[in-house]
Amino acid sequence: MNQTSHTPTAGGDHPRPAGAVQGPQRRLRLAAYPSLLAMPALLLLIAAMGYPLLTVTLRSFSDPAWGLQNYVWFFSTPVNVTVLWRTFSIAAWVTIVCVIAAYPYAYLMTAVGPRLRLVLILCVLVPFWVSGVVRTLAWVILLQDSGIINSVIRLLGFDGVKLIRTQTGVVIGMAQVLLPFMILPLYSVMRGIDLRLVQAARSLGARPARAFLQIYLPLSLPGVFAGAIIVFILSLGFYITPALLGGPRSTMLSTLVQSQVLSLLNWGRGGAMGVVLLVATFVLLALAAPLMRQRHKQASRS
Amino acid sequence: MGSRSRLAGFVGAAALALLAAAAHAQNAPPAGTVVDGSLKGKTLTFVSYGGIYQDGQVAALKEFVDKSGVKLLNDGPTEIAKLQAQVESGNVTWDVVDTDDFPPFVHCGKLFQKLDLTKLDISHIPAGQVGECSVPAMNYGMVLMYKNDKYKDNPPKDWKDFFDTAKFPGTRAIDGSGSPIGGLIEQAILADGGKVDAMTPADIDKGIAKIKAIGPDTIFWKTGAESQQLAESGEADMIIMWTGRAMTAVKNGAAYTPVWKDWLVVMDQLTIPVGAKDTDASYALINAYLGKKSQEILTEQTSYSPINSEAQPKVDASVGAFLTNTPDHAKLGYQQNIKFWVANFATASDKWTALMAGN
Repeated sequence: MNQTSHTPTAGGDHPRPAGAVQGPQRRLRLAAYPSLLAMPALLLLIAAMGYPLLTVTLRSFSDPAWGLQNYVWFFSTPVNVTVLWRTFSIAAWVTIVCVIAAYPYAYLMTAVGPRLRLVLILCVLVPFWVSGVVRTLAWVILLQDSGIINSVIRLLGFDGVKLIRTQTGVVIGMAQVLLPFMILPLYSVMRGIDLRLVQAARSLGARPARAFLQIYLPLSLPGVFAGAIIVFILSLGFYITPALLGGPRSTMLSTLVQSQVLSLLNWGRGGAMGVVLLVATFVLLALAAPLMRQRHKQASRS
Repeated sequence: MGSRSRLAGFVGAAALALLAAAAHAQNAPPAGTVVDGSLKGKTLTFVSYGGIYQDGQVAALKEFVDKSGVKLLNDGPTEIAKLQAQVESGNVTWDVVDTDDFPPFVHCGKLFQKLDLTKLDISHIPAGQVGECSVPAMNYGMVLMYKNDKYKDNPPKDWKDFFDTAKFPGTRAIDGSGSPIGGLIEQAILADGGKVDAMTPADIDKGIAKIKAIGPDTIFWKTGAESQQLAESGEADMIIMWTGRAMTAVKNGAAYTPVWKDWLVVMDQLTIPVGAKDTDASYALINAYLGKKSQEILTEQTSYSPINSEAQPKVDASVGAFLTNTPDHAKLGYQQNIKFWVANFATASDKWTALMAGN
């Protein structure tokens, strides 16, 4: 644990050379209009996200006629409610699996030397560059009844397990696709944790487990939350992986949206489904936010 | 029962087609004719489903492109929602669109133009296949493929056996790629002891319930490639497959045998969108596509059956074994009641979607 890479804060602390007289003034001007700096991103968001979202929402209330009929339809059709619930439960499982798999990996990335770290980073990034469809198809070959995993299990003398076309299979496939989104934020937070704090705890008599639970874990939680939120939200919209790895009982909401819009041309109903998913996500995040804030406080206290 | 309604459907549609043909046939240039340089400087966008199929269609249209001087652009895959967006915004960039069986009937006159049959030679299209807004793009089928070493001496012989899980245990795989499979629901109703002569929406429930009764292990494959993969890895004991995929799977070593009794007739449809820029050019493309030679090329390249009855494609035995237009196979085909499924498209789709989602 000879981690010494504790970088101090940004260059603003350093005194500027005397020649840069214009410097402070220009900085002031930019600081006065921070919104100006965000303009390109904002414009892009409005054009690519805001406007389409507005159209979808409007259409969910106006197609085929003004009113709530699409929402009434959504909640009075049992399949929609079942699938909505299932979508959230699959997303939650994927998030849990990702946290469990990513945490030790990200820690390892901070603990090893630079060369091994490069290898570990590549192991995360290279699959990330491969298309999700290709990775999902690879999982089909691994998970299917006559696939590699089941062959090995049978070779060891056990009965084969049903993996493909089950929720388990979908969670495995999605977790692998989404793992980089968990590992990278975790790694960036863990890299900033001063390991001397853990050493200090040890020297004051804490056992390794206690030092980890009371010092390291709370400090790494912001990374866990950041990764978990990204993974959870991305999971909610997954389409290809559940379609290829799942069976009827692992259909997610995006598949239903697809069939409403693409084969039935019910833009209103498809829009209503999207809005319900969006609102449900916001509500869930709003519920989780105070919890996270508390954890942050705890972390900063210790 | 099934054959009677099928016959009635055929006769009705054939009569319509004949009437239309008799009224106008003399005006249309024979299918396959292309006037030299007639479309010089023009551009046509042809939309289909990509892959080997669209490649074959482009090859079938090569002579048309070379002779007429048209510039042919390809787009795809066909999505009716995209087409709707084009039609609604008044900016239609697609000129000829290859679609599934149902959309041209469901959206006839709204998204797809009613066809002027004076501009097309439909005299060699198999009877009953010309719709108000579409002509067939090809013929193929959905066949029941069973695994040889699972059923050995007592293989399933028809759809009744497919639904009989007591006598024929094993995993089933069904086409879950999109729209409801009307023909399969009809066969389910028949296997359940019902009738399909005068189906009502309530019968859809019966058919869906029968499919659901096969059990929770039923696989609904999402793409043709997936169905082929299921066969090649031996994952399912009975698989409903498109004939082209079935042919390829067997060629690749899948030990499965087709059941031809009541194979489900499927076509793709060629359409012209409402608001297409140059309708006459679109008609010229379709008329060339319907020609004997074009259809031979299409079949030789894709293994799908030609829709010109005079076409004599040269294919090897493995492809020939899965062509649907050979006399042996043609007489065993089962034509779904398109009219019924079009009229009840929304209901059927909702129920089919619920089946797919495990409800």
